[in-house]
Amino acid sequence: MGAAAVLGALMRRIAAMLSVGLLVAAPANAETHYLIVSGLGGEPRYAESFAQQALSLAQSARRTLNGDERVTLLSGDEATSDAVTGALEQLAATVAEGDTVAVFLIGHGSFDGEQYKLNLPGPDLDGETLNEFLTALPARQQVIVNTTSASGAVLEAWAADGRTLITATKSGGERNATRFAEQWALALASEEADANRNGAITVQEAYDFTTRKVADSFEGAGLLATEHAEVAGDTALGFNIALLSARIATTDQLRNLIEQLEVLEGQIETLRGRRDEMDNDAYFEDLQGLLLELALVQREIDAARAGE
Amino acid sequence: MPVNSALRIRFLAAAAVASCWSMQAVALNFEYSSDRPDELRDCDALEYRGERYDADDCYAALRVSGSDPRVRAEAAWSLGDLRAANTQFQEAIDLYPEDPRLRTRWGELFVMTHQDNEAVKLFQEALELDPDYAPAKLGLASVSAGRFEDQAREWVDEALGHDQDQLRAHLLLARMSLETGELDDAEASLDRALRLAEAQDLPPLEVYALKASADLLRGVTDSVWTTRALEMNASFGDIYAIPAHFYVITRRYREAIELLSEAVRIQPDLWAAHAELGVNLLRVNRIAEAMAHLETAYRGDPFSAKIVNTLRLIDSLDNFRDVVRMPEMDEANGGAGMILRLHRDESEVLEPYVSELVNDSLRTFSQRYGFELAEPVVVELYPEHDDFAVRTSGLPGIGLLGVTFGYLVAMDSPSGRTDNDFHWGTTLWHEMAHVFTLEATNHLVPRWFSEGVSVYEEWSTGPLPGRHIPMHVLQAVAEDKFLAVADLDSGFIRPTYDGQVMVSYMQAGLICQFIEHRWGQSAFVAMLEQYTQGADTAAAIEQALGISPDAFDQGFEAFIAAELGGVLESLDDWKAQSERAYEAADRGDWGAALEAASAAVTSVPEYVADGNAYLLKAKAHDELEQPDEALATLESYWSLGGHDAGALKALARRLDERGRRADAIDVLDDLLGVVPLDSELHIDLGDRLMAEERATEALREYRAVLALNPYDQAGAHYRLATAYRQLDDAAKTREHLLYALEIAPHYREAQQLLLEIAR
Repeated sequence: MGAAAVLGALMRRIAAMLSVGLLVAAPANAETHYLIVSGLGGEPRYAESFAQQALSLAQSARRTLNGDERVTLLSGDEATSDAVTGALEQLAATVAEGDTVAVFLIGHGSFDGEQYKLNLPGPDLDGETLNEFLTALPARQQVIVNTTSASGAVLEAWAADGRTLITATKSGGERNATRFAEQWALALASEEADANRNGAITVQEAYDFTTRKVADSFEGAGLLATEHAEVAGDTALGFNIALLSARIATTDQLRNLIEQLEVLEGQIETLRGRRDEMDNDAYFEDLQGLLLELALVQREIDAARAGE
Repeated sequence: MPVNSALRIRFLAAAAVASCWSMQAVALNFEYSSDRPDELRDCDALEYRGERYDADDCYAALRVSGSDPRVRAEAAWSLGDLRAANTQFQEAIDLYPEDPRLRTRWGELFVMTHQDNEAVKLFQEALELDPDYAPAKLGLASVSAGRFEDQAREWVDEALGHDQDQLRAHLLLARMSLETGELDDAEASLDRALRLAEAQDLPPLEVYALKASADLLRGVTDSVWTTRALEMNASFGDIYAIPAHFYVITRRYREAIELLSEAVRIQPDLWAAHAELGVNLLRVNRIAEAMAHLETAYRGDPFSAKIVNTLRLIDSLDNFRDVVRMPEMDEANGGAGMILRLHRDESEVLEPYVSELVNDSLRTFSQRYGFELAEPVVVELYPEHDDFAVRTSGLPGIGLLGVTFGYLVAMDSPSGRTDNDFHWGTTLWHEMAHVFTLEATNHLVPRWFSEGVSVYEEWSTGPLPGRHIPMHVLQAVAEDKFLAVADLDSGFIRPTYDGQVMVSYMQAGLICQFIEHRWGQSAFVAMLEQYTQGADTAAAIEQALGISPDAFDQGFEAFIAAELGGVLESLDDWKAQSERAYEAADRGDWGAALEAASAAVTSVPEYVADGNAYLLKAKAHDELEQPDEALATLESYWSLGGHDAGALKALARRLDERGRRADAIDVLDDLLGVVPLDSELHIDLGDRLMAEERATEALREYRAVLALNPYDQAGAHYRLATAYRQLDDAAKTREHLLYALEIAPHYREAQQLLLEIAR
């Protein structure tokens, strides 16, 4: 990667990290809903690992929501075509326009040159049908992560306004079982993925972590990569797809402190936006001031948590 | 496959390639066989005398009026219209399908257009038609000789078996003898060839060029044969280009450039000479001139993979960065300085390690060889192995890892090889020793001695401790495959069995160990002085060491018996025990695995390369819950130069756990010679150095982490901040701390440090 590309990627990453302030400031009653589907494993080793990945993602979702009311997990024999479409219908009836829906699809997918299919117990679910149900969801912000083999086949068809679509492969031609879901599940529970160390994992952070780990796993084994993830739609890249425990407010005191934190985050983001028009020394002087305030609030949060 | 069906397929292939063939003036088209059509002889005579315009008129007349496509094919070829020549050969073969000469000549045309595989098929078809047809055998010999294959001599011998009076056979023999430095044999072949040329009224120009080559190799640069050739044909560029080949293969690139420049001056359309000139100019870092000649060559001969690949390589240099380190910039830079040509993606990471090693080597070798370099050394590291391979194209017996052209070293970058066994540090050390042996002798040092010194220095002063001899080489020693010292060059240039080049490297290194053991290191300098004065190996040994080559060989044999005798006797035992150990490990019998692996280690203790028994022994100790013994085994492995990255990381961790932090640091520092692009290694090493309050060294590691563009940019900046803090550099501490927090405002450790420095 050239220096300009590296810098560009870095700037996008920083921008995505800092956009958290705005996203946290979304309407107070906005809710996030998760649907996690783990399809047919075929072989026992796949069935086992798919189920484990789905469970890990459900745990991350529950931790993020501080409960499991808005988390739907369909795994193993439960994940039939009817169950999946039923869950999507249920979501369509439940979610509001300002809500966010996150859908994670795990398992094997196939593509015959024309049609993508998600392999499920019983009849498979084709890509077109799945997209109809996803499109019917009223939530303006959607994060759809299709981790299956051949998932790249849906990149164009599923792209939509307000939707960030991530696929484990770049096309329907990458048909080997993927490694993406395993790393995605890790990302949503990993401090390592939290590049800006704010206790929240954005979609961008999770994507960066996952793609890097997948590439490393192939390189480490001396193998040519058989999957290349793609992302379409950037509106939800800054969305906090998972919160680590450090970000979750469990008391009024913590809630108050986290709100202070969010204000400071917003101010830092605003300052960053003015960087080009500012003198370098002045920029860093102001930045240092805000960072010191943030550090002090953070210290209070840590102390409050320690006293819980 | 029957000839006719093979031929049809060839027609299709030829039709495809023919669309690429174009008009090109070429080197003189010599055909020495007696069945060359008589119609061509008058034209040939004009061409051999350099009367190009008259010759062209003569050939053109034959091409228009000649009814025989065999003649038209030759005429078109001589006129440089290779496409037409190809078409005429196809037509001629339709008319004369049983003519072995036609297929042989068509094969020669394919050789000229760099399509050796097609040529070989045609030569073989000619031999199917006439198993005794000598020119076809010589065609095969010519292709083999161009690849430096020993089989070439067999084909020539077969051809001579049918007819002793074949000029081309003697020319090929002479060429091969010159390549291996057997000058007397070459002269004998050339004398015979000259007599045949005179007797058969054949053109003597190639004989003259090889005679001039022989003179050159004897140190005579103003050969009478050059004068004689130019008197006959003033534009015969090969009178310089052919001798230049022998300069190139004896690594005298600067002299080769002079000759090739002269060749293209008198024959500007000698494309092969332009190509060679370009390639060799690149070897001495004259890139712009190289490109000009390669572009000229490409215009005349667009089908040469060598030309195209070298031009692509030059284009790719835009992706590299020249890091210049001169003594006047920093007194830490040794010798005449260095220019590191590193790929932009990795230059920041590698530069500190490469420049440190080059500086160490400059100091070490200047002192050991009493020779100061006169120019900066250029070191090129290629992340793409294919780019490095272009650098070595056309050179015999070159190592697969690195090559030295004098003041220019080219090698694989650590990222260019995925194998865990590639130690870039020891490879560069080896190449740097070549810089000294080549330049100290004005490139007159023979291959074997230059390689021997480099291997010896790898083992004795390089970054990787110990002597490393591959198992297949030990086996070759046991089978008594070492050559006499005076013949050792042939083991590099024309190997006769698989793996002989590596055997020759190791023999050369062991010979240097023997010299050092018996005469001391100063004997190397004495040997180099002899070579500088033009001595051959026999004379150099006699003068510098005061011993005859035969006595030297006997002494070396005794040395090998003393040094390796025990190991050689234990080879079978080592193999059997290793096999037992791995079998026991496979079935989980760790007690038996330990016993066998220990026995294998005892049999050949110095063997730490691929398939060694140390790592299995350490694993067995672990399985048997003997951590101290496992640690001791890994330490032995490391001390002998074992450098498996996983094993050394495990060793460092264990040493650290036992409080042996300095040793752990040494192990990780050695790992930089294997995996310098591993960011975790730099972090690990940097953190340990910080714990030991060695912040200056830690800074280098943390800078490398940042240069590797890690996912955790904030962490990289924070680590730099901590190192600067330990060095009391407040401004740099604040700078990197703010960078870290700008990326990750919630970074606890960085916040804490910010609060501390803001206090």
